[in-house]
Formats: sequence, C-alpha cells, structure tokens
Amino acid sequence: MRYPDLAVIRTLAASLALAFLCGCAGETGPYPSKEIRIIVQSPPGGLSDQISRIMGSLIEKDFGVPLVAENKPGASGALAFSYVARQQPSGYIIGHTPVELGMVRTLGYTDIGPGDMTLICRVSLIPPVLVVRAEAPWKDFAEFVAAAKAQPGELIMANSGTGSIWHFNTLLLQANTGIQVTHLPYNGSGGTLVSLMGGHVDAVIAGVSEAMTQIESGTLRPLAVFDSKRSSVLPDTPTTYELGYRMGTPAWSAFSGPPGMEPAVRDKLAGAFAKASEDPLFLNLCADRGIEPAYLGPADFEKFAHQQAEYFAEQIPLLLGMRP
Amino acid sequence: MSPDLIAGLTAACQPQVLMFLVTGVVLGAIFGALPGLTATMGVAVLTPLTFWLSAEQGLAMLLGIYSGALPAGGIPAILINVPGTPASIATAWDGYPMAQRGRAGQALGINALMSGGGQLMSILFLSIAAFPLATFALSFGPAEYFGLALFGLSLMAGVSGKHVLKGLLAGTLGLALATVGLDPMTAYPRFTFGISDFLDGVSFIPVMIGLFGFTEVLIQIADRHDVHEKPAIGALGSVFPSRAQWKKMLPHTALGAVIGTVVGVIPAAGGDIGSVVAWEQSRRVSREKQSFGKGSIEGLAASCTAANAAIGGAMTTMLTLGIPGDAVSAILIGALLIHGIQPGPLLFQGNQSFVFTLVFLMAFAAVIGMLLGLIGARPLAKVLRIPGPWLWVAITLFGIIGSYALNNAVVDVWAMFVAGIVGFLLRRAQVPLGPLVLGLILGPIMEANLRRALVLSRGDWAGTLSRPIVLFFFVATALSLLAPLFKELRAKRRQA
Repeated sequence: MRYPDLAVIRTLAASLALAFLCGCAGETGPYPSKEIRIIVQSPPGGLSDQISRIMGSLIEKDFGVPLVAENKPGASGALAFSYVARQQPSGYIIGHTPVELGMVRTLGYTDIGPGDMTLICRVSLIPPVLVVRAEAPWKDFAEFVAAAKAQPGELIMANSGTGSIWHFNTLLLQANTGIQVTHLPYNGSGGTLVSLMGGHVDAVIAGVSEAMTQIESGTLRPLAVFDSKRSSVLPDTPTTYELGYRMGTPAWSAFSGPPGMEPAVRDKLAGAFAKASEDPLFLNLCADRGIEPAYLGPADFEKFAHQQAEYFAEQIPLLLGMRP
Repeated sequence: MSPDLIAGLTAACQPQVLMFLVTGVVLGAIFGALPGLTATMGVAVLTPLTFWLSAEQGLAMLLGIYSGALPAGGIPAILINVPGTPASIATAWDGYPMAQRGRAGQALGINALMSGGGQLMSILFLSIAAFPLATFALSFGPAEYFGLALFGLSLMAGVSGKHVLKGLLAGTLGLALATVGLDPMTAYPRFTFGISDFLDGVSFIPVMIGLFGFTEVLIQIADRHDVHEKPAIGALGSVFPSRAQWKKMLPHTALGAVIGTVVGVIPAAGGDIGSVVAWEQSRRVSREKQSFGKGSIEGLAASCTAANAAIGGAMTTMLTLGIPGDAVSAILIGALLIHGIQPGPLLFQGNQSFVFTLVFLMAFAAVIGMLLGLIGARPLAKVLRIPGPWLWVAITLFGIIGSYALNNAVVDVWAMFVAGIVGFLLRRAQVPLGPLVLGLILGPIMEANLRRALVLSRGDWAGTLSRPIVLFFFVATALSLLAPLFKELRAKRRQA
C-alpha cells in the first residue's frame, strides 16, 4: 500500500491549525455574539433536560445565536455544577442548576454550593405529591397516616434515591407526622412509580409532573400535595398545609453561571429567561406536566438559593441521621 | 376495518409525515453507527425541533431515529468489532468473524433484514397482546429483576468459548467493577478514591468502546508484521442469504423476536440484555453450537432480531402504562406530552387512531431501515478494504470522540483507553472479554434488586426467591449450567 506523502500531511496540518484559529476567534461585539452552551446536570430526556432545551430554543429566537444544551450527568449534578463553576464567566457557558445545587455539599458529593456560582434566575417549581395505588385501602392522607402509625415500619415507601429531594420529603413526612415507614431507594422516579403500580411497595412521593400520567389515567391516587398552595393540575388534592402539617420542599429549576459574571451579562440572560418563561410553549409544558412557573430574578433567586442551602445544611444531617 | 385503523393509517401515510420518517431513519442510522452516539442522544437533541411540527410529523422523525439507530449499531460491530450501541454487542460476536472471512456483505444483509424483521414482529406482538404484556411488565418487582440478571449471568460460561475458567474470572472482574460508585441503597461512595467523577460508577459505553474497539486496534498493531504485504479483505460476499440459510435462520429469528419483545417490555431492560440472552438461547438449541462466536448466521440472526424486537417491547410499556420502557421512550413520552398526547391506558380509549398511527410509523420505519441497510451493505462493507493503519487511526479517533460525546467528560476518554489496554492484556492471556461486559451490564441490576428484594421481604431469603417468576429464572439458570454436564455424562454412558 501507499502511505500519504508529505503534501497531504501538510495540508491536513494546515487545515487543523486553521480550524483551531477559527475556534479561538470570536467574542467580539456586544454579548451575545456566539453560541451559548447550557450544561445540563442530568442525562438526556429528564425534566431538567427538557426545561433546558425548551428555554434554549426560546432564547435562541430572542438572542439570534444558538443555545446548545449539553448533558453532563453524574453525582446528583455535582459534576456539572463544579464544571460550570470552573469556566470563564463570559456568559457563553451557563448551567441548569436545580434544587440539588443546595444539597450536594451537605450530601458530601462535592464542595460546591450557591455561593460558588453567579446565580441568574429560577424558572419553575415542582411540588412533591404523595401517591398510592387506586385500589389501596387508604382514601385520604389521614387514613394513610393512621395506618402507618398503627404498624410502624410495615408500610414500604419507594424513593428516587437516598439523599434525593423526594427521599428528603419522605423523611419530612415521617418527622412531621410521627410515622415510621420502610424506605426502598431506586435510581430516579421512574423505578419508584413502576414498583408502586406493580404493587411491590405501598406509597411513593414523587414530583407532581412525574406522577401526572398515572394520576390522570386513574392508576394512582394522590393523597396530598406537599405545598402551601394547591397544584394547578391537581385542584382537588389537598395540600399538607391545609391538612395541618407545615411541610414540603419542592424541587426547582434554575440557571447559573461561573462565579464573577458581569452584572450586565447576567441581567441580559435573566431578562431572556424571564421572557421565555412567559412563552405559551413553556407555559403549556408547565400546565400539562404540573410544573409551577415560578420565575425569580437574580436578586430574589440569590436570596432563595442561599436560604435553601442553609435549610438543607441543617435538615439533611438531622433527617438522614448523618453526622455533621 | 375499524374507522380508527383507517384514520391512523391515513395519518401515517401523509407525504410530509413519511418524509420526516425517512429523515429520522437516516439521522438515526448516523447516531447508531457512530459508537458513543446513541439513539437516546439523537432523540433528545432533535426533540425541541419537533415542537414546531405536528404531532404525527414530530413523532415520525423521533420514531425514525429510534428505529434507524439500532440496525446501524450493528454495522461497526460487524465491520470493525466495535458495537455502535450496547444492543449490538452480541452482533459483533458472530458478525465480525463473518466479515473477517470475507462474508461482510452477507453479515450486513442479515443484520438489516433481521433487525427490520425483529421490529416488525415485535410490533405484531404489540398489536395483539399489548395489555397482557404490560401486566407482565408490572409483575416485575425487585426479586424478578434479580432473577433475570442472575439468569443473564449464567450466560457467562456460554460466551467464554473454550476458556470457561478464565471467562468466569473476567466475569468476576466485571462484577467487581460494577460495584464502583454510590451504593445503590445507602448512597455511600464505594471505591471512588474521593474523586467525584467515579460517584456514578464506571460508565459502560466508553468501557465497551475500549474493550472492543481499542483492544482490537492494539491486537492488530501487535500482529502487524505482515500488514504491508497482506491485502485487506477483498471479498464481501453476497448480501442476500440463500434459501438454505433462510431455512436455518428462521427458527432462531422467531426465538430472538420473542425473547427481545419480552425483555423489552420489562422497564429498564432493553435490547442490550435481550440480544445476549437471545444469542445464548439460540446457541443452546442450535445443532451447530461450536460455530457460535465464530461466524454463525444463526447467532447473528437471533441477536439482531432480539435487539430490535426490544423496541416494540419498550413501546408497548410506554403506550399502555405511560411509563418509559427504556431511555428513548422516556424522551418520547415528553415529546408526546408537548403535543398534548398523554401515553397510558387512556390513549387507547380516547385517541385510538393515534395509537394506530404510531404502530404504522414504527412498521414503516422498520421497512425503511431494512431497505437502507440492504442498499448500504455493499458500499459500507468496503470499509474492510481500507488498509489497517488508516482504520486503526479512525477507530481510535471515533473511540475518543464517542467516549467524550456521551457525557461530555474527559474521564470517559481515559476510561476508554484504560479499558482498551486492559482488554488487550486479557486477550493476550486468552481471557475472553464477553463475560466481563456481561458482569458490567448485569452487576448493578443484580445487586440493587437483590438488596431491594431483601428489604421488601424483611431479610427473608426463602420468601423472596420462591415467587413464581423468580423460581422460573432460578430453574432456567440451574438448567443452563447443568445441561452440558448431563450431556457429557450421557455421552460417556453411551460409550461405556
């Protein structure tokens, strides 16, 4: 066989160098002048991924530059958060930073929290809901709690992973009502809901959005939404606050950048997210899936995120029985 | 014919819908053929585009990607021994040896025919028995998953070839690697050495690319002494199987379709498990056991059929229960919801014509994928005429890109290289790699579900393990391990 001669190699090298130079160029002109990457902390297909991609495609129309979602899953989001925190604060790399941003430091996955990011904005909330099978003997929340109290440790509740937000809410349920259940950890809510439908466990706490399909088809019965106000998609389901228990910690979706972003760039992004979160496409997704649109601008989100991190730093060791 | 059926067929036959379907199949084939790029990724990336299309057009494109990716995953498996998707691992076992013997065209032809056939057969199962299959899927609790994984592990001996003991060692290594990461029950980090990249364990796809692709490159480089003289494999063989070959393959295809569909219906178990289980069962019933793993068309037919039949299974779970049967159907559910369509039992009552549209789209996608595969078989097989050194560089480059693209993480590229080097050393020591891969795939399923099962039964082993489906898997496992022994005994007695 014939090997390529020097001329071919030279051409290849030159084109590689050119490609590299093209990559280095840019970043001229007012922000945004080139592609913006959104680092998503979960694998493709989840709710985080969908929210990021929808937001990306809506802002794309506004900014006139592509917004590309990249998935960097792992360790409850810890890998993506620390990746984003290490980037240049140019505004061309931002991250989808959900509730886990306030949890991973306390869980010990990585030493990162809201203080290590430029917090841009929050866009939505997903309240937790307690569901049982439609043929389960417990018609309402009170009956369920009474049954669980009567036989401590007998009822089995699946959760989406030890230390996950829905496991945390299951622990809140125990602490506030004085019941004791057996926990069965899965990897994500898909597994918990399937095992509930198959009759392998007794109850599950999941996000309203995750359980909606089964609730609407009548397979699962919602007993309580863990929130202070009723869910827009479950208007007939009482909230824990109405039932006399001040408990419930929703999951939320938000976006943040590397530390030290220019306030002007941050505000420009926040403005675009604010506009996108009023777009009918996003509102429809929310209405269909039981997500509450809940935009918070940079200042309010900053306050909210730090409150959340402090709350989890205090409650997680307490509820999970971890040593601080 | 019911009016819903006709409405569904009409909707699927609109020229624009068909155009999006073809586009999807072609895009899917690209995602599937490049190792590291998966159908899941293709569907996720293109889902936002479908928001601006009608439900039928959008779904046509996404289903096209889904159906196009799996048969294409078999192409690199056959040509360069690198499975394009985890579901094509078993395709490489027989497809690659076939290609090495100058029958690449035929291997690609069988891959295209059986992949499309597998999907069509699983769609047939879906249309006649969707709800019974769904009920079966729900009966799978932790104990049943454990039984399935254990049964899968009993295949280790089968895929070890002549070196059973070394194969079992490799399998144990795979199981050990599967324990890296957060403990599935307590979320306590295990063997992570404080590095957060390891918290989610060893990522499977980069290891697979390394073990198959990079290992193969290293082995060919080590044996390169005659590469300058030896012409690359010239013969491609005919694409279509002969009548006698069809006759030989058909029972194995049917077996593959049934196994693939049933495994696909079970949530979180898909084409990767389905195809290796089908390969092993087909080996067991075959009269030419010794040719399996060395270029058996029966093994190739069974594994290709099963890998694609899992699609129909996963769709059954998605449509009837509204729960994802695999990662792709999880995204499809999201895309359907955007268009205001709620998968689940209600869909069958309220919007039956749309269910028919989906079924027809999947069937069309299977046929389009089959045709594309047949047309592409001969040109694609010419990859084998590329001289070794060029191919080695290309495989390594694609391996790097694919490993990185999966999670956008450099650590996965390192995992690919390390796996490749370890794979090379193991192969040099005559240790088969198939069992290692099985251990890695099945280890996490087996461990987490055994522990969940024991939580459910409050530590009572007997109670957990005597459930009917679990017991079935136990008996099947025992039989599959003891069968060769009995056979040997009988042969000895006959001699005596």
